[in-house]
Amino acid sequence: MVPGALLPLLLLVPSAGLHSASGGVGTGHASGEVEFGRDVRPILSEHCFACHGPDEAAREGDLRLDEEAAARTAGVFEGELVRRISLGADHPAHMPPVELGKPLSAEQVQVLTDWVAAGAPYDRHWSFRTPERPGLPEVQEQAWVRNPVDAFVLARLEEEGLAPAPEADRRSLARRLALDLTGLPPAPAEVEAFVQDPRPDAYERLVERWLASDAWGEHRARGWLDVARYADTHGIHFDNYRDIWPYRDWVIEAFTADVPYDTFSIEQLAGDLLPEPTIPQRVATGYLRCNITTNEGGLIDEEYKVLYARDRTESFGQAWLGLTVGCAVCHDHKYDPLTQREFYGLSAYFDNTRVPIRDGNAQDPPPILRVTPPEQRARLATLTGELEAARGARAAREASASEDLAAWLASPEAARAVERVPAGEEHLIVRAAGAGAPAQVVLEGAAREVALEEGASWEEGPSGGGLRSEGASLVLPDAGDFDTADAFSCSAWVRLQPNDRSGALASRMDMGNAYRGWDLWLQGRRVGTHIIAAWPQQALKVVAKAQVPAERWTHVAITYDGSAKVGGVRVYYDGVEQEVNVEAQGLEGSIRTTVPFRLGSRTPGNASGAAVADLRLHARVLDAGEVASLALAPLLTDAVAQGLEPLDEGTRSSLRDWWLRAVDEDWQRWDGEAQRLDGERRAIEASSPTAHVFAEAEGAPMAFVLDRGEYDRRGEQVQPGTPAFLPPMASGAPASRLALAEWLFQADHPLTARVAVNRFWQELFGTGLVATSGDLGLSGEFPSHPELLDWLAVEFRESGWRVKDLFRLLVTSATYRQAAGAPAAKRALDGDNRLLSRGPRFRMDAEMIRDTALAASGLLVPEIGGPSVRPYQPPGVWEAVAMRESNTHTYRMDAGERLWRRSMYTLWKRAAPPASMEIFDAPNRETCAVRRIRTNTPLQALVTLNDPQFVEAARALAVRALRTSESYAARMDAMMLGLASRPLADEELRTCGAVLADLRAHYAAEPEAAKALAEVGESPAPEDLPAAELAAWTMLANMLMNLDEVVTK
Amino acid sequence: MSDPGHTDPLAGVRETLTRRHFLRTGSHLLGGAALANLAAGRPLGSDALGPHFAPKAKRVIYLHMVGGPPQMDLFDPKPGMVDWYDKDLPESVRNGQRLTTMTSGQARFPIAPSRFRFDRHGECGMELCELLPNLGKTADKMCFVRTVHTDAINHEPAITFLQTGNQLTGRPCLGAWASYGLGSMNDDLPTFVVMVARPTNQEQMQAISARLWAAGALPGAHAGVSFRSSGDPILFLQNPDGVSDAVRRRTLDGIAALNQRLLDDLGDPETRTRMEQYELAYRMQASVPELADLTTEGEHTWSLYGEEARKPGTFANSALMARRMVERGVRFVQVYHNNWDTHANVAGRLPDQCRDIDRPCHALILDLERRGLLDETLIVWGGEFGRTIYSQGGVSRENYGRDHHPRCFTMWMAGGGIRPGHIHGETDEFSYNIVRDPVNVHDLHATFLHLLGMDHERLTVRHQGLDLRLTGVEPARPIPALMA
Repeated sequence: MVPGALLPLLLLVPSAGLHSASGGVGTGHASGEVEFGRDVRPILSEHCFACHGPDEAAREGDLRLDEEAAARTAGVFEGELVRRISLGADHPAHMPPVELGKPLSAEQVQVLTDWVAAGAPYDRHWSFRTPERPGLPEVQEQAWVRNPVDAFVLARLEEEGLAPAPEADRRSLARRLALDLTGLPPAPAEVEAFVQDPRPDAYERLVERWLASDAWGEHRARGWLDVARYADTHGIHFDNYRDIWPYRDWVIEAFTADVPYDTFSIEQLAGDLLPEPTIPQRVATGYLRCNITTNEGGLIDEEYKVLYARDRTESFGQAWLGLTVGCAVCHDHKYDPLTQREFYGLSAYFDNTRVPIRDGNAQDPPPILRVTPPEQRARLATLTGELEAARGARAAREASASEDLAAWLASPEAARAVERVPAGEEHLIVRAAGAGAPAQVVLEGAAREVALEEGASWEEGPSGGGLRSEGASLVLPDAGDFDTADAFSCSAWVRLQPNDRSGALASRMDMGNAYRGWDLWLQGRRVGTHIIAAWPQQALKVVAKAQVPAERWTHVAITYDGSAKVGGVRVYYDGVEQEVNVEAQGLEGSIRTTVPFRLGSRTPGNASGAAVADLRLHARVLDAGEVASLALAPLLTDAVAQGLEPLDEGTRSSLRDWWLRAVDEDWQRWDGEAQRLDGERRAIEASSPTAHVFAEAEGAPMAFVLDRGEYDRRGEQVQPGTPAFLPPMASGAPASRLALAEWLFQADHPLTARVAVNRFWQELFGTGLVATSGDLGLSGEFPSHPELLDWLAVEFRESGWRVKDLFRLLVTSATYRQAAGAPAAKRALDGDNRLLSRGPRFRMDAEMIRDTALAASGLLVPEIGGPSVRPYQPPGVWEAVAMRESNTHTYRMDAGERLWRRSMYTLWKRAAPPASMEIFDAPNRETCAVRRIRTNTPLQALVTLNDPQFVEAARALAVRALRTSESYAARMDAMMLGLASRPLADEELRTCGAVLADLRAHYAAEPEAAKALAEVGESPAPEDLPAAELAAWTMLANMLMNLDEVVTK
Repeated sequence: MSDPGHTDPLAGVRETLTRRHFLRTGSHLLGGAALANLAAGRPLGSDALGPHFAPKAKRVIYLHMVGGPPQMDLFDPKPGMVDWYDKDLPESVRNGQRLTTMTSGQARFPIAPSRFRFDRHGECGMELCELLPNLGKTADKMCFVRTVHTDAINHEPAITFLQTGNQLTGRPCLGAWASYGLGSMNDDLPTFVVMVARPTNQEQMQAISARLWAAGALPGAHAGVSFRSSGDPILFLQNPDGVSDAVRRRTLDGIAALNQRLLDDLGDPETRTRMEQYELAYRMQASVPELADLTTEGEHTWSLYGEEARKPGTFANSALMARRMVERGVRFVQVYHNNWDTHANVAGRLPDQCRDIDRPCHALILDLERRGLLDETLIVWGGEFGRTIYSQGGVSRENYGRDHHPRCFTMWMAGGGIRPGHIHGETDEFSYNIVRDPVNVHDLHATFLHLLGMDHERLTVRHQGLDLRLTGVEPARPIPALMA
């Protein structure tokens, strides 16, 4: 083709595809033939489908142009279409209507006219056809082709009359390759070795070396974490910390181990549904837990349930299908043949889950998995056996206890035990004394009588009887004044009505001040407690799972150990500890309040309806034996008097349980042993990181179509299913997430491989073969090299979805190895390098820029994985936006090695992402991001010039250089080799030398300034180097770190 | 820099043309259009960019009251409620309104009449709470809308809706749209600046987050630049300790020389852009401290804004800074003032809240007017929703709490082409439902854009195959009654 043939192409660019379809890449065709998918559909999609496309509700004139059969039936190709688009804007029947604001250009009208003249041939959208491996195109410069990638690229270049760039020099190549495979610059020694390596496969050896490095896994994982919307906080409202980093480490490990992309995907989407899933397979489902969540006080659960499922569905669509399925939330998709009903069919796969709506502001909302560190796994295994043995011995003692109990009851010790009830140290005892009589109150040892409140009634019951009221029975200003760190216990006999009322049995709580205080609480005949600084965010709420029997006097107790943790609360019925539900956690701040202690209801109209007898408060935790003593005291009195015989079996059993706990040393020894071992087990668990995992709920998945996408406007119920325009699932596949994940990897699936290959291409070349890497649908861009994309997709699939193989192929191509420079004339023809007429060159991602500074200066701590870290950040970034109650309100900078880890480990708070990274266009990790935009702003310059972590790195680099040699040039080269993998040219050395001279003079005259500069950052500056010299070199290093070449790959 | 005093209606248009020129040459603009980065989706010269017609306002100062101020205690007096004290809100009024789960379990909805006196102000006769005496003096310059209503009932979605036109996070906010549509008016400051003011009383602060001033689908450079009250006003603005301006200049010259060599070698225009951004950064290092330096303000400033304005981070200080910013050509200033979430203790908290904002808002209006800037500066004041007439928790004559209420709340505007001295809309006797002239959030946004010379249907960005706009997909329209 002759260069002149480019002309129509250039004209087409702004017209056919200003917004989308052709993007920046020429799409003209030498023969002038109109091709539907490339030339026509983008025009129809942009200008016509809004009213004549898939969305039935928006369709005008009963005309549908996106489906061939429908369009032909309508007969618009007989002349009507061409006539209507040619009428002129002032004609009322002109298409597209003027008010749509999307007029056709003259070129577009011509394209449509030519297409109709050619018989208006349709074909399926390119990305919805299963890719087939195309033959390699013929090229003239065969010698340039290193692998099939190059054949496709060169064919296109030759077609456009362009020649590829020469191969990049070895230094540039090594740097590009290291940055692409590891995210780090190569060590100078590695570069030198490569430059000197005479072996013909020197480059390939380098490729293998870096593909095998741990840094490879980290770098690829970082890309995926944008897709997975990984972050370390929940996102909404409190935006509290979320302990989910084991998922991040799973991703690193998966890339390092080269887990095939199909396995990688299936385990994230449905690892929990695999047969007998391994721990890593379950950890992988953390992907489905990465969505933002909330615990805002007034939230309506169903609203967020819908939003979470929607996010998972949209993320799935972006990441694996490369489609904007979210456009079908409210109505049928305007461009792609995806109906609203199909969207909800997809969402059904992701909605049937046990993951709660409210994250509880907790770092480990269920379902979770404890991932025991390898070094503790052996101990955990032996521990389990020891624990079972201790429990077995304890149980055996329980079985043999009856005789000893009977003997004991007859002994004098038993009589004394009645008094073991923790007596004489109560903070408070409240006993009724009969109908109408004042209550007998003992507060801190002082007895007095207190009149009952109006409306309180008495009834027969333990220890003087019970009190009942619709309001408070009794009010005591001085009782129960506990603070958050105070341990206390509250116990009483209660007799409940057979209803589900809720209310306080006793409380000291200020309703008008965010419910500050505590209570003994009843809801639905379950007993528990609130311990509150400010409801609901700063509060504990724990309620027993079991119900208390109605109409029977039952002893209930709660104990709290002052730890501000839900684990510090226990609930007992009749002296037996109960399993509990945690309804609120995350207590911080004081619970003290000036309102009085009340027996009975906290507020009128909110009464429990229970009778309460013999209420006791202790200003400490009662242990299980003591609680049992309180509960058993009346029984014990009877048993001592009468022996066991007259008692029923239930009572005997209760008595035996109490006796074992309170008296029997044998049982207590085994119990102590079991508790110690269990404590050790729990300690290991507590030190084991939490993996947030996904878990399916009971029942079959389904969803409702939501009118306009609104959660409270449910329409038709739909079953899980995949869109009809994509290949059907294998017959007999169940309606499960696992089947959905496996469907992606069916050999006939048209999208999965193309989407993945395109995204990986984008990581290397800056732009995908389809620039809209999140949208390969009808409104997305037509590929710059469609055959190459298909060839790579088939290759990827047929090679077993091996990511390393794919990268190996790409980075060993001649295309990748081209030099990045280009003369102006060539840039004019291939401005964005979409034709690949030169090597890739673009500004590095935020993380790579910082990691380069750390690596070159030797500060980098190359530890893999682990909890996220908090490096340097200016004060106030979190504090400016976070709620005071949030546990990520105050940024506490780490110390030591955690300051110099790779940037992917920096704690990512969603409401305030790491400041220096956000400025370099890092996404906020709230939703799936398949592509980062790249801007070039002054705020970025300020980061690399002034951020302490860059200044400190500059100093460390300067120290390295100063210790390398006495020679100016060698020192400069030492710095530049670390940053840019090349020595400086003479002219550059002269430029820098002049700067150095000025800086030296300046800092020699300003010793205070030199000292101040040496103190930036946490790492100490060496004292043996002259301060002025170090300062001057620090600023030279800072200068080099800010070069375009250094921040650019 | 533009002349702040001129009133030529087409000046803004010319400005934009100039800006486009800068764009092409890849110079100018911070936090904004300098990004000659078309790959990021800025359709240069396209119809999507404004202004589409002569603007009334060229700048915006948006004062967002985080938490949701109680309209019936401040702007929407309901004296008849005294007779309804502690009586339940009739079911017919509540009419199925969804409730937050904070009060949905409440057995009663006892009405809490406002305990504050209302006074009439100006010719317009606007009745304002006794806690807003200063604001009353400028009532005739303001446009009060008593009938704004929103779709969301909890803070996160509601504030996101007010700021971005969508309850879900991820869409561009108003300021980003203004930056995208209109570009910069200055050489050395950001286009869109955000300040988070620190309230005196911090009893019930609510969450805000950087996502509120994010650029969403717009190029990242349209995101708001956080202007901080302590430390560097703009992140990383200051040279490190021990680095003087002279040292910085010398190293920048070194960087420029080496970059020039690279540019000659490879010919990548991005290198040139980066060189320009470094120069811009250097200019900012001088212009931002100048902006933040209040020692040049005269006595009249302090007597107008009050002594509080001297303290960095107060609302008064933010209001004064906002004036200095618009004076220097910042296009959009967003201020957040927190602690309006009065679930309890309205009586105790409202005086503090009002003291924070009353005098500074009044001062800002007068100050801009005196400087000839009010006509082309749109001031917007409001929260993310209103509050309920019934009390959350216990009620007494003296004190009460109020839950979130999306069905009606009051916002006000001043300057920038609004209709001064206008009181818009009417709510029922309970300030619960709208009786006349409802204003939804999309219409309000369309009005703001209209005042800025932009058609909300034409200001779009391509996103996921759609032309995304601030006002969403449902029909919206600017409200003529709110405009002069």
